[in-house]
Amino acid sequence: MVPLQVLVADDEAVSRTVVGAMLKKAGYAVIYATDGEQAWRTLDSEAPPALALLDWEMPGLQGPDVVRRIRKKEAQTPTYVILLTSRDSSADIVQGLRAGADDYVTKPANEDELIARVSVGARVVELQAALAERVRSLEEALANVRALQTLLPMCAYCKSIRNDQNYWEKVETYFTQHSNVSFTHSYCPNCYERFVRPELEALEGARAAQEKLRRG
Amino acid sequence: MSETPVLDQAVTNALRTLTPPGEPDVLAEVLNLFLDEVPPRITRLRNAWAAGNIEEVHRAAHSLKGSAGNIGARRLYGVCAQLDEKTKSGDLAGAAPLVDALGVEFGKVESEIRRLLAAG
Repeated sequence: MVPLQVLVADDEAVSRTVVGAMLKKAGYAVIYATDGEQAWRTLDSEAPPALALLDWEMPGLQGPDVVRRIRKKEAQTPTYVILLTSRDSSADIVQGLRAGADDYVTKPANEDELIARVSVGARVVELQAALAERVRSLEEALANVRALQTLLPMCAYCKSIRNDQNYWEKVETYFTQHSNVSFTHSYCPNCYERFVRPELEALEGARAAQEKLRRG
Repeated sequence: MSETPVLDQAVTNALRTLTPPGEPDVLAEVLNLFLDEVPPRITRLRNAWAAGNIEEVHRAAHSLKGSAGNIGARRLYGVCAQLDEKTKSGDLAGAAPLVDALGVEFGKVESEIRRLLAAG
């Protein structure tokens, strides 16, 4: 499995390095940002990391500011954000979570606690990705159903169907393309009497005539 | 306070175990970063204190506390934590000796780190 990518944003090199080393040891792919602006640029990119650990106090953009910006973005699988803080008053924690952080870890980080919280985040991220995939496939299925709910122009004689591109297609072709239906060909009792039996009889007659001819 | 270690061995040992196989020692890397990063921040804090910029003193004390905590520099951490608290609340009584103590405590941590790095 591809390791999940985690962004560690902290202006202090000591703290950044320690947290990064803990994550790498636990098998995550780590990228770094040395301030809030850089963290935001990384998170605002085309393929943002799945998880981010943001230091609360950074020069320029602080952790909660970065979170607020992330939450304004529409993303199908939003980044799971953990704030790193040495503030431990509940008012501060409430403020961080209200800004949109998913969790917080107090500094200096305890390795076991940090990794446990990050793996909770990883579970949430994987669940979200699985749900997004499910929604995508359901939407696709729904689009097919919608296509079949429209009014279909059909030839009254040969039963061909006029498709979206104005071409007349066989019923089989149309439905195979617009749904998961596939066809197996057979005949109904009425058509057996009307078409199949006369053909079989004609064949039988032709064979008998040929036999007679051969015998002279 | 005299019981508190300059450098907590439990923390430095834990940092050592973070080293991936075949890569440079994480502990040495972190301790070197600490030696590079902390002195200019102490200077900044002292200058801010001299200029009466308490907000800046608070920010610097807070970030020093973080770095000290990360390597287990418990006594330095204690000084920073008190300074962090005092400059946050604005009750500056007893803050001046703490500013002076920073340099002393950093000196102790530095010699401990040098000893540890030399031992490998």
